[in-house]
Amino acid sequence: MSLDVVALWLGWLLVWTLGAAITFALYRRFGDLSTDRGGVAFVIGVGWFIGQFALTLWMRLLSLVHVPFGVVPIAGPLALIAAAFAWDATRHHGLAPVRRARDAYDALRGVELDNAPRALWLALLGWLAFRFALLLLEVLRRPLYPWDAWTQWATKARVWFELRRIVPFGSEAAWLAAPAGSVYYDAAPNYPGTVPLTQVWSATLLRRFDDALVNLPWWLTGVAFAFALYGFLRRQGMKPLAALVGAWLAVSLPILDTHVALAGYADLAMATYFTLTALSALRYVRTRSIADLVVALVLAVACVLIKSPGKVWIATLIPGLIVAWSARYGLRIAGAFFAVALAAALVLTRTGIAVLGYHLQLDFDMPWGGLWDAYFAFANWHLLIYGAIAVAVIGFRELLSRDIAPLTIVVAAGVAFLLFGFAFTNARLWVEDQSTVNRATLHLAPLIVVWMITTFDAWARSFSRADEPRHAAPAAA
Amino acid sequence: MQPIVQNAPLVSPPGDEARTGERPAAPPLPQSKRSPWRAPAMLLLGVLIVFVVGYLAWSVPGAWFPGASPKTWYAKDLTLARGTGALHDTALAVTSTDANGVALVSVNTDLRATDYPGVAWVVADLQEDAVVKMLWRTDVRPDKVNSIVLGVQSGRTLPVVMAENRDWVGRITGLALVVEGRLAQPVLIGGVTAKPMGVLGVIRDRLRDWFAFEPWNGASINTITGGADNQPIPLPAALALVLGAASAIAFALRRARPRAFAIAMPAMLAAFFVAGWLVLDSRWTLNLVRQEHATALRYAGKDDVAKHLASEDGALFAFIEKAEAAMPKTPVRVFVAADDDYVRGRAAYHLYPHSVYFNPRSNALPPPSAMRAGDWVLVFERHGIQYDKALGKLRWDGQPPIDAELKLLAPGGALFVIR
Repeated sequence: MSLDVVALWLGWLLVWTLGAAITFALYRRFGDLSTDRGGVAFVIGVGWFIGQFALTLWMRLLSLVHVPFGVVPIAGPLALIAAAFAWDATRHHGLAPVRRARDAYDALRGVELDNAPRALWLALLGWLAFRFALLLLEVLRRPLYPWDAWTQWATKARVWFELRRIVPFGSEAAWLAAPAGSVYYDAAPNYPGTVPLTQVWSATLLRRFDDALVNLPWWLTGVAFAFALYGFLRRQGMKPLAALVGAWLAVSLPILDTHVALAGYADLAMATYFTLTALSALRYVRTRSIADLVVALVLAVACVLIKSPGKVWIATLIPGLIVAWSARYGLRIAGAFFAVALAAALVLTRTGIAVLGYHLQLDFDMPWGGLWDAYFAFANWHLLIYGAIAVAVIGFRELLSRDIAPLTIVVAAGVAFLLFGFAFTNARLWVEDQSTVNRATLHLAPLIVVWMITTFDAWARSFSRADEPRHAAPAAA
Repeated sequence: MQPIVQNAPLVSPPGDEARTGERPAAPPLPQSKRSPWRAPAMLLLGVLIVFVVGYLAWSVPGAWFPGASPKTWYAKDLTLARGTGALHDTALAVTSTDANGVALVSVNTDLRATDYPGVAWVVADLQEDAVVKMLWRTDVRPDKVNSIVLGVQSGRTLPVVMAENRDWVGRITGLALVVEGRLAQPVLIGGVTAKPMGVLGVIRDRLRDWFAFEPWNGASINTITGGADNQPIPLPAALALVLGAASAIAFALRRARPRAFAIAMPAMLAAFFVAGWLVLDSRWTLNLVRQEHATALRYAGKDDVAKHLASEDGALFAFIEKAEAAMPKTPVRVFVAADDDYVRGRAAYHLYPHSVYFNPRSNALPPPSAMRAGDWVLVFERHGIQYDKALGKLRWDGQPPIDAELKLLAPGGALFVIR
């Protein structure tokens, strides 16, 4: 391994450490990780997302004050901040972090599990490790491949890396009128710079724009997401094996893996940040922990700065949060929210205007064939959509129960957003040709996984309670 | 053996783990030497067998175990009787139809119709609305040319079952494929296979569909087919059907006989679902292994430049390398002209951090009035651009000429600077 590749790994390790230190300190001060199983996985996983976003904010700030991008200007202050947060998080706790690390190592080995669950645990860990090893090889070897990656995302990264600052991208008219080099142009000049900035950091570490290696953060995002989901599910009270299965279901989705392997799009970041935003926000309403609130807010801001639909995705959280907040009136308010949103959307379709680049039209024409292929026939989602429908059917009594209702409403709002877009905008064409339907659904899919397994679990509890008397009756007889 | 999960929810209340030490608090079961998972596994297996047998009964048109084996004629065996085209590697590329709008490829055969009830043409890159027919002759009525319209999906022809066709009789002495209408792009014909369509052949076809290698392509970032295109039975749907039926039967059995299974119903359903997911994930993992092998063959051990040269746009990249050597080191304005969307986008990407203009959606160039002295124009595989070296004039698409100097000329590409 050459020195530049070592620098690449170390540079990203610093960013991950920064995020983990911030998250750890945050929960030390304002939250509670002490009683949480999965706390270490949570800190590691969420830490990546916090650290990555913090890096891009720092790079924006450097560019704003005309400090050229470089390893020292970027990494130096971030290392100091990471050290400060790590010190703050650990100063009052002596060897507790060491014990926590030992506990985490034991948990990783599954020492707390019985023989059969432990065998399954280790097998699943091995399966996940093998999957991510394959994805890593693909990311490190294949130069930037998918279309939009080199027409509208890495275009910005290449320019900003070479010029060592953020320069504006503008419309065709702006480019033609501007002096040379003052405005740049690509296929989507208005797209946010968060994702390209991660490539700029990779290239800065490498000191060259290597079309394959700059994409390392996509792989790291996949790995961190598995940690974060496992941590979230464990902190919700799920058992280790069930939480690991949940994380596996999410990160084994072929379209998600494809967005890791064929790195360069922002949809993976959109999906992972949005999932963690939703889970953190809903958790905050339950715990009222400032740490959960801060994490949710930071991740929500990141969603908006990753991709334009991030604003809409964040809006879809509102009815679910209302339901979580007000057990008594939440569902009614959320129902009213849905009705108003639907009415507003239908009114907008009559105007023929474009929202986020999608042209609204009052001409219901759901592309059923394209949806069937995407969700049920092709390999994009394994059995996710089948499973989600089955769970909704068998667990319909649980869908609006106090524990499940907020997540149900969030998922319902997300599905409504997707289906509205497919039925009432020009996006229907991109469903028929399969060009957008799966990428748009990817943003919501990991959350559907979480909703599916938590609803199934609620149904399982309810079923077991109801079943026990019947089950016991013949034996008693 | 203890059950893995017995009536245990996936979630435990806070503090529960500390008391239980993470072990599921399962009530004791009656001891049995048989695994409690045996009955659910047998149920699932039974449902699977019923579905497979049912599918075979529905899809096998003739004998279940025919004596004949498949017969294939490859592209090199085909004759292009009408239209134009040429053999490229393993496919016959038909580039245009004849004056009557017909392209026809044929092959002489000698088949017993009853032995071969299925025919599959390997045809790709058809338009979705293409009209494609199969023709055949028999020794029963040698003077008659029979025909049947073939289905087209995703640019490929679908296999056709001929068992019920009254004209598929005697010995088949010739097969042909007709493509009607103007061709927007070359149609690739790989060959034709006559199939006995017995049980083993149908099972083999389905397994081949499901486990065919699906390498990365331009659409992969948008959708993963999962094996071959045009699968009559998609694996996720088949698995969902089997798992759904097994779950429904388990519910019914449980309702009729509460002690039918030693495993709690939720655990059983979860296990069915995870098993189905694992099958699909194994297929996906296998595809990733094959893909990584292909990627390694192409890119492993190469540096960034060598990787670009080995990529799909290697020739373009090589030209851009030369162009950049002829251009200033400091960023300048560059207009990219190419007919193909892909080439324009890739050329622009390689040219950054120069200030590049490319039209992402059409090959139109801005008018000359939009250009300034000192701007550059990079042309690669673009028709309609003329340069008069003597006068130093560049023009395109009927626009007025503009003063320009040729800085680089290479096969398929040129670089100009505006004066």
